Amino acid sequence: MSEILNANPTIRNASDLPSRRRLGASQSLSKTPQGLFASVVPASAYLPDPFSPHSSDSDISDEDEDEIEPIDEQEIYDLISPISDPEHPLTLGSLSVVNLPDIYLTPTFPEKGAASPLTTLTVLITPTITHCSLATVIGLGVRVRLEQALPPRFRVDVRIKEGTHSTAEQVNRQLGDKERVAAALENGTLVGVLRKMLEGCESGAV
Amino acid sequence: MSDIQQYLLTVGPDKAKASGIAKETSERLESKETTLIEVVRSLGEYINEEDATVRTKTIGYLSEIIGHLSPTFLSRQQIQTLCEFLCARIEDEGAVGGLRKLQGLGRFSKEMAVTTFRAMLEHFQDLQIRPQPQRLQILELLNDLMSKHRNALKKLGNESVVGITDLVMGEKDPRNLMVIFSILKVVMMEWDTSGHAETLFDSVFCYFPITFRPPPDDPYGITAQDLKSRLRDCVAASSYFAPYAFPQLIDKLDSTSPNVKKDVLQTITACASSYSVTTVSNYSVTLWDSLKFEILNVQEEDLAEEALVSLQAIAIRLSRGLDSTDPKTPLARYLRPITKECNEQLHEPQQKQAKPAGQILSALGITSPVAFYLIVKTVVPPLNTLYQDADSIGKQRALLEVLVQIMDSAIAVYGTPSILAPTSTIENPLEPFKDRLFELTSQALMSTAADEVSFRVVALKAVLRLCLLRKYLQDNEIGMAVQYFDEIILVEDPSGKDDLKKEAIRALVELSRIKPNLIMDITFPAFMSKLPDTSLFESQEYLIILEGLAQLSVEKFVSDTLIRRLLNKLDVVLQNYGSSAYPRAILSTLHYVLSQRDLPQDPNLGSYHENIVVGLTNRVLLASTGQAPTTALNEDATLEMLGRLSTMIVRALNRHKQKSVAIQVYSLFAEEGAFTPVPFRKDAPKSQRSTMILSTALMAGVGRSVTLQYTDIDSGSIQRLLAELVRLALAEDVPAIRQAILRQIGLLTNKFLPSQETRDITDSLRNLVSGLLETTTMSENAVRVVFWEAKGLVLRLAHTDEALRRLLSLLSNPECGFASACGFGLLLAPDEVLSKENGASIRLLAKQKAFNICVPTIAQDFRKADTAIKPNYLVALSGILKHMPTEVIMSEIDILLPLLLQTLDLEDSDVKAATIQSLTVISQESPKAVEGHMGSLVTRLIKSASDPKMNTASVRHNALRCLRIFPGRVKGSTLLPYRNSVTRGLLGVLDDPRRHVRKEAVECRAAWLNMDEPQSD
Repeated sequence: MSEILNANPTIRNASDLPSRRRLGASQSLSKTPQGLFASVVPASAYLPDPFSPHSSDSDISDEDEDEIEPIDEQEIYDLISPISDPEHPLTLGSLSVVNLPDIYLTPTFPEKGAASPLTTLTVLITPTITHCSLATVIGLGVRVRLEQALPPRFRVDVRIKEGTHSTAEQVNRQLGDKERVAAALENGTLVGVLRKMLEGCESGAV
Repeated sequence: MSDIQQYLLTVGPDKAKASGIAKETSERLESKETTLIEVVRSLGEYINEEDATVRTKTIGYLSEIIGHLSPTFLSRQQIQTLCEFLCARIEDEGAVGGLRKLQGLGRFSKEMAVTTFRAMLEHFQDLQIRPQPQRLQILELLNDLMSKHRNALKKLGNESVVGITDLVMGEKDPRNLMVIFSILKVVMMEWDTSGHAETLFDSVFCYFPITFRPPPDDPYGITAQDLKSRLRDCVAASSYFAPYAFPQLIDKLDSTSPNVKKDVLQTITACASSYSVTTVSNYSVTLWDSLKFEILNVQEEDLAEEALVSLQAIAIRLSRGLDSTDPKTPLARYLRPITKECNEQLHEPQQKQAKPAGQILSALGITSPVAFYLIVKTVVPPLNTLYQDADSIGKQRALLEVLVQIMDSAIAVYGTPSILAPTSTIENPLEPFKDRLFELTSQALMSTAADEVSFRVVALKAVLRLCLLRKYLQDNEIGMAVQYFDEIILVEDPSGKDDLKKEAIRALVELSRIKPNLIMDITFPAFMSKLPDTSLFESQEYLIILEGLAQLSVEKFVSDTLIRRLLNKLDVVLQNYGSSAYPRAILSTLHYVLSQRDLPQDPNLGSYHENIVVGLTNRVLLASTGQAPTTALNEDATLEMLGRLSTMIVRALNRHKQKSVAIQVYSLFAEEGAFTPVPFRKDAPKSQRSTMILSTALMAGVGRSVTLQYTDIDSGSIQRLLAELVRLALAEDVPAIRQAILRQIGLLTNKFLPSQETRDITDSLRNLVSGLLETTTMSENAVRVVFWEAKGLVLRLAHTDEALRRLLSLLSNPECGFASACGFGLLLAPDEVLSKENGASIRLLAKQKAFNICVPTIAQDFRKADTAIKPNYLVALSGILKHMPTEVIMSEIDILLPLLLQTLDLEDSDVKAATIQSLTVISQESPKAVEGHMGSLVTRLIKSASDPKMNTASVRHNALRCLRIFPGRVKGSTLLPYRNSVTRGLLGVLDDPRRHVRKEAVECRAAWLNMDEPQSD
C-alpha cells in the first residue's frame, strides 16, 4: 500500500455495532434457562428416548421449526459489516462505512404485493473521508459480497451516500454499471484486494 | 614400506584404515620404539613434493599422529618445533587440523598462539578462494585460539581486531558465519574497540537483515533464527556501536517485509537492553519518534506488539536502579515526548490512534514504579479533564478504557491484596486521585442510562480494578462497590443487560477471594432476601440470583451457610404451590454447590445425607401415600433432580452407610408400614411408582459389592428382582418411571450381577427376543427391556457376541424391526446413571467390539434385505456410529461409506442428522476416503440442505457444514467438476426460512466459490 489516505479514522467499538442479540435480548435468557448449571447438570437426566422417533428436541431451533425468519436489514448488515477496509485492519462496520440505517429493503414491484418476491436492496456507503479514492473498491467489495450471499430474487444496488464523497456520482456510475463491474472482476490485482477484504467474513474452519 | 608410504597409499581409498596407521605410529612413539625426529625425517621427501595433494596428505599424517598422542607426551620444545613447522606449512591443507590439536595441549604457550595467529593472518588473506570446509577448519582454529588463548590475542590489541575482521570478511556460508559471529562477539565485548567500532560493526551489520532460508532437508540444521540471534548478539554487544546501529536500524524499519521489520524491532530491543544507560538515553527520543509510527498506525498486530516491547526495553533500561521521580533523569526525558503525544491522541479518543496511545501508556507504565509515577502524573489529570468535557458517551467510554489500562499497570506495579508486587519506595501516584476516580467510575456505572451497556461494562471494570489495587480503597468504599454490583444483578431490569450482569457477578467472585467478609455481609443477605417464596409464573428472575449465589460460594464458610439457607428456602417454596421449575432450580443450585466440594472429606456429609437424601425422600413418600399434601417435589422432573443430588451424596458415603442405603433402595427409609415398596406388588398408583426414580438414584450411588434390597440370600436373588423389574417395565407407560426402571435393569446386569451369573441373563434375553419374533403384536417396551439388558452386558463385555447377534436378528422383523433399529443408538450411548463414576463396569474395548460384530453383519444383511426393511439396517448403523471413536470408524470406511450415503435418502431426520455427523467427521479426518464418492455425496448433501419441508433446520445446517469441509481438504481437481452444481444448488438455500441455515449456506457457497485459488497453507 502506498500512502495511507486517512491515517486516523474514528472507530466504533465492536460491542456498540448493531447486532441481533441486542435487538431480541430477552430470547437469550429464556432459551438457556440454567446457564451456569447447564455445564454441571445436563438439561434432562433422561436423554431423548431413541425408541420414540421425533420425540427428541435436541436442537433448540427445531422447537419452532415452522417459524420463518425473513431476510432483514440486520442480516444484510451482518453480511457486509465484517468486510475489512483495504487500508486498515478494521471492519467496514467499525469504521462506520456501512451503517444499519443506510440499508433499505423494498419490494421491487410494490403494486404486486406479496405475489412478487423480488426485492430491491439499497446499501449506502459512507467513505471515511470525502476524497477517498478507495470508495469504488469498497463499494465493489460490498457488491460482490451481497451478490454471492443473497438469493437471486434480490436486486442489489450499492451507492455512495449523498454528500459524503467528492466524486460520488462517478463512483455510483461505476458501481451501477454491470459490465464495468464484470470487467473489474477480471482484473487479477483487484480480485486479490477484494479477496483480502472478504476474508474476514468467513467464520473460520468448520 | 615405511608408515608414511603405507599411509599415503591407503588414505585415498580407506580413510579409517589410514587413520589406524597414524595411530600405530603414535603408539610406537609413546612406547619409544621410534622418535619424533625419525618420524619427521621420514616425511622428508614427501613433504617437499611438487604435487600439493601429496604434501597435504603428508601433513595430514603428521596431524593425525599428533591427535593420537596422549596430551602430555610432547614436550614444550617439541610442541614449539611442530608449531613452527606447521605454521610454515599452514597453507597446506591438514596443517590447520594439526595446529588445532597442538593448541589444545597444556604446554602450548601464549607465544605459540601468537605465532599461529600471525601465520594465519599472513597466509590466509585470500581465505575466500578456499573451499568452504577448509574455511570452516581455519575459522574453527581461530575460534579455538579465541577460547583457549584469549588473553594472548587480546594483548595484540589493534593488530588482532583488524586482523580478525579482515580475515573473516566476505564470508557467505551460514555454517562459517555461525562461527564468525561468535568469534566477533568476543572481540566486541572484551577487546578495547573504541578505535575500531565502525569497522567491527560493519563487519557484522553487512549481514543484516538475514534473509537466509535453509534448503529443504538441510543436513546442518542451521536455521535463519540461529543466525539472526547470533547476529543480534553481536550488534548489541557494545555501546560503541550505537551511533552506527540505531540510525541504520531505524532506516531499515522502512522495509516492506514484515519479517525484516520484526527482526529490526527485536534487534532494537536487544540493543536497548544491553547498551549503557547513557547511550540508550542519547537515542531514546529518536527511537520513540520512529517506533511510535509502528504502533499508532498499526498495520500488523504483532509488529505493533514488538514495537511496544522495544519501547518497554528502553524504559526498563533507563529505570535500572532509579528511584527518583526527578524530571531531569534520562527516563523522565524519554517519557516526556511520549506522554505528550499520547495526551494529544487522547483528545480524539474515538479515533483509531487513541487506542494504541492507551496501549503505549499501559505498556510503559508496568516497566517500573518510577515510570508509572511519571506517566500518571502527566496523563491522569488531563484525562480527567477530557472526560469531564467529553460530549458523548462514546468518547467517555474510550477514555475510561484508557483508565482501565492504566489501572492494569497499577496492579502490575503495586499488586492486589492477594498478589504482592515487589516493594517500592515510590508512593502510588494514583493516591491523590483516589476520590475523584472512585466518584467518576461509580457515576459512570450507576448514573448512566441503563441501555448504555458497553459503557457501563467498561465502568464496571474500572471500579473493580480500583477495588483490587493493593492498599488503595478503604473497605467501606469497596463495600459500596459491592453494593453497586449487587444492585446491577438484583434490581435492574433483567432484559437485555446480560453482559453487564455477567461482568458484575464475575467482579463479585473476584472480590470474594480478597474480601470474603464483604461478600458475606453485603451480597449474601441482599441476594437471599431477593429470592421469592414462590414462583407462580414463568418468570425466572430467581435464576440469576441462584447462579450468583452458587458462584460466590467459593469460600467454604460461605457455602455452608448457603446450603443451609437454600434448604430452608426450599421448604418454604414447597409449601406454596407454584411452578416446579423453581424448586428444581434450588435443587440444581445445591447440586452445583455440593459438586464444588470434596464431599467424601466433608464433615457435614452426614447431615446432607440426613436432610437431603433421607429427609426429602421421606417427604416424597408421605405425599405419595396421601399422608401429606402433594407438592412440586413429587413431580417426575423434580424427582429426577433430587435423584441426582442423592446419587452424588450417596456416592460419597462410607461403605457402612452405603450398606444401609442399599437395603432400603425400595423402602426408601420409610418407617415400618408407612410405605409399601413398588416391586412385588400389584397396581401401585402412579404417585408411588414415581418413587422408582429415587430408587434408581440410590442404586446408582451405592458401591457394587453391597447387597441391595430383595437380593439377599433369605428373600431372593438378583435374578428374581430382575424378573420383577422386567415385569414392571413391560407394563409401565409413564416415560420417566419406565426409564428409571430400565436403568435399574441396566444397573443390575452391569454393576450388581456377579460375572458367574451373567449367563442367566442371556437366557432371559433369548426368551424375550424369541417372544418378540413370534408375536405379531409387538411391544415396544419389550424391545426397550431387551436393549437395556444387552447394554449392561455389552459394556462389561460379557457374552457380547451372543447378545448382539440376538439384537441383530430383530432387525429383519417387520413388526419390531424399526424399534430395534432405534435401540442400537442406546447401546453405546453414554448414560448419566450407568456410568464409570457410579461404579458401572465399562470396558475400554466395548465400543470397538460392538462395532466389529455389528457393522459387517449389518452391511451383509442389508444387501439381502427387502426394500421395506432396508432402512432398519441403516438406522441401526447410524445409532452405532453415533458414539463410535473416529479411528474405529475409519478402519471400515470402505464398507461404511456406501451405506451412509444411502442413509441420507431416508426420511427420519434424527438418523439423517446422525449420518451427516458421521460423514462430517470422516471427511474431516480422512478426506481421501470420500474422494471417490464426491459426486453422490455432493448431490445428497445439497438435497439434505434444501427442501425445508423434508429436512429439519439442523439437518439442513449440518449438511451445509459438511459440504463446506471439502474445499481445501479434497484436492481441487476432484471438486472442480461439482463446483457449478454446488454454487447453483445453494442459490435456493440462500433463501432458506431459517437464518442460521442461510448463514451457513453463505459460508459454504463462499468456500466453493473461492476454491480454485491456491490455498495459502
